[in-house]
Amino acid sequence: MANDLLKRFSFEITSNDFITAGKSSSYIKSNLKSLGIDSKVIRKIAIVFYEAEINLVIHSLGGKIYCDLYEDKIIIISKDIGPGIDNVELAMTEGYSTATDKVRELGFGAGMGLPNMKKYSDIFKIISDKNGTLIELTIFI
Amino acid sequence: MNFSIMFDKEKCRGCTNCMKKCPTQAIRIKNGKAIIDHKKCIHCGECIRACSYGAYSPECIEWKNETNAYKCKIAIPSTTIYGQFPRGTDICVVQNAILKLGFDYVYDESWAAELVAKAIKKKIDNNKDIRPFINTNCPATLRLINIRYPSLTENLIALKTPMEIAGILARNNARKKFNLEDKDIGVFYITPCPAKLLAVTDPIGNLGPSVDWVIPLNKIYGELYQKVVKEDNLICSYPSLSGLKWSVCGGQSKSAKLTNFIAVNGMENVIQILEEIENGKLSGVDYVEVLACVQGCVGGTFNVINPFIASSNNKYILNTLDGEPINSDLECFEKLYNKGFFEFEFPDTESVNKINIKEALKKNEEIKQILAILPGLDCGSCGSPTCLSHAEDIYNGQSTIFECVVLRANS
Ligand code: SF4
Ligand code: SF4
Repeated sequence: MANDLLKRFSFEITSNDFITAGKSSSYIKSNLKSLGIDSKVIRKIAIVFYEAEINLVIHSLGGKIYCDLYEDKIIIISKDIGPGIDNVELAMTEGYSTATDKVRELGFGAGMGLPNMKKYSDIFKIISDKNGTLIELTIFI
Repeated sequence: MNFSIMFDKEKCRGCTNCMKKCPTQAIRIKNGKAIIDHKKCIHCGECIRACSYGAYSPECIEWKNETNAYKCKIAIPSTTIYGQFPRGTDICVVQNAILKLGFDYVYDESWAAELVAKAIKKKIDNNKDIRPFINTNCPATLRLINIRYPSLTENLIALKTPMEIAGILARNNARKKFNLEDKDIGVFYITPCPAKLLAVTDPIGNLGPSVDWVIPLNKIYGELYQKVVKEDNLICSYPSLSGLKWSVCGGQSKSAKLTNFIAVNGMENVIQILEEIENGKLSGVDYVEVLACVQGCVGGTFNVINPFIASSNNKYILNTLDGEPINSDLECFEKLYNKGFFEFEFPDTESVNKINIKEALKKNEEIKQILAILPGLDCGSCGSPTCLSHAEDIYNGQSTIFECVVLRANS
């Protein structure tokens, strides 16, 4: 059945942890490659997953990312424990960033996070309040 | 002839050095001897470098026997060649030494490199929606992208290599100058690069066959070295200073007068930067120059001099060369560019059959179960480069669990 969850990869992301930032994306990428998933799909997933991961490291108090495999799609769910996004619409604008200067010096947080996620996913959903942000990204295979 | 690297089974001791260095895991050791999976090989030459017993060597082409077939024999020395001689060696002397090997005419690769650099700049300026562009002149990284990063195909700048362009222009020039037919003209490229050798014998896309023969530099170096003697009144066709920069990594970007570029050399670094591009991280960069060899083509396996010394030699040449380059083809640049002369048509990356995720997951699960039994030391003694690749080989029926030395010792 197309709607059955075939496999879930889950990752715990710690706030401000730049030492392991990017590790989960590499892991998910090599796993999907070894499954033989089309490279164009993998590239989209690599981009949105990386953005999600870095977003949690920079902007959140920590959270989880799930990558769920279905027969015809991959859904990435990013769930953090706050502080939430004040103005989702503004955050969706290209170039807008709340990243601190220090983070920007590291070459992260150019403010392309959310718009990029939207651009490279087929379905993009976001809910945010002060208790946290939930993003769900669907990419069809 | 379709493989640029010859393997001498007698010399191979099965030491696993080459297997561990191969970036695409194309090598296995079976019954104490290395075996290359040619489908996975990207011709980077890492195995030649890694082997202490000289088991790998460039395909031996008896090009000398072939020279009689042509009325006009053109040599195209790679941009790296001048840095292979002691510092201070005159460019003219090197060119004349090449002629003395039996050639009628030298067409310097740097002239073509200068043209390709102009094409790079133009293409980047004209296509602002593609970022970053990736170079296509290193056949080893090109094949790596083909095999491991096919999604980056759309980022490739898709321009012919200086070797390719030099071959076409040299032939055209000779045809006009000496009033000859194509078949009477032999074009010989002198190269530091096993991947270039293969780019000629087994080209990708619309490349080739502008060069007829490829000569590994180290095959002729001894002879050439003896002929490098100072004489009076030597005729010289000066290389293009801009084009000569191509021999060292970062040089093509400088030759193209780019300011927003990243230049990366050495296989491991190249792999890391390609991963970053795949993650969408370098979309603010115009051009990423990726070269398989350390320091770029000065580090090619058929070179004789240490890459760092060669690259310093090259800088020295750029600073001291005097003499006007004769690059008459430069005038035709716009016309050639607009005609699509530089365009490199890429074969479509084969579309993968729609995979069955369920089955793929099951397969991965089984491989994982095999992997769990293996000790995880990645020692390579089993003949596969890592425990994971051994597990995959077992799954594919190409090896057995009993090949694992550690398991055998423990049981
Ligand atoms: S040339 Fe490179 S890819 Fe080919 S077998 Fe040797 S190390 Fe592997
Ligand atoms: S860096 Fe140059 S010499 Fe080395 S493989 Fe690439 S093109 Fe050949």
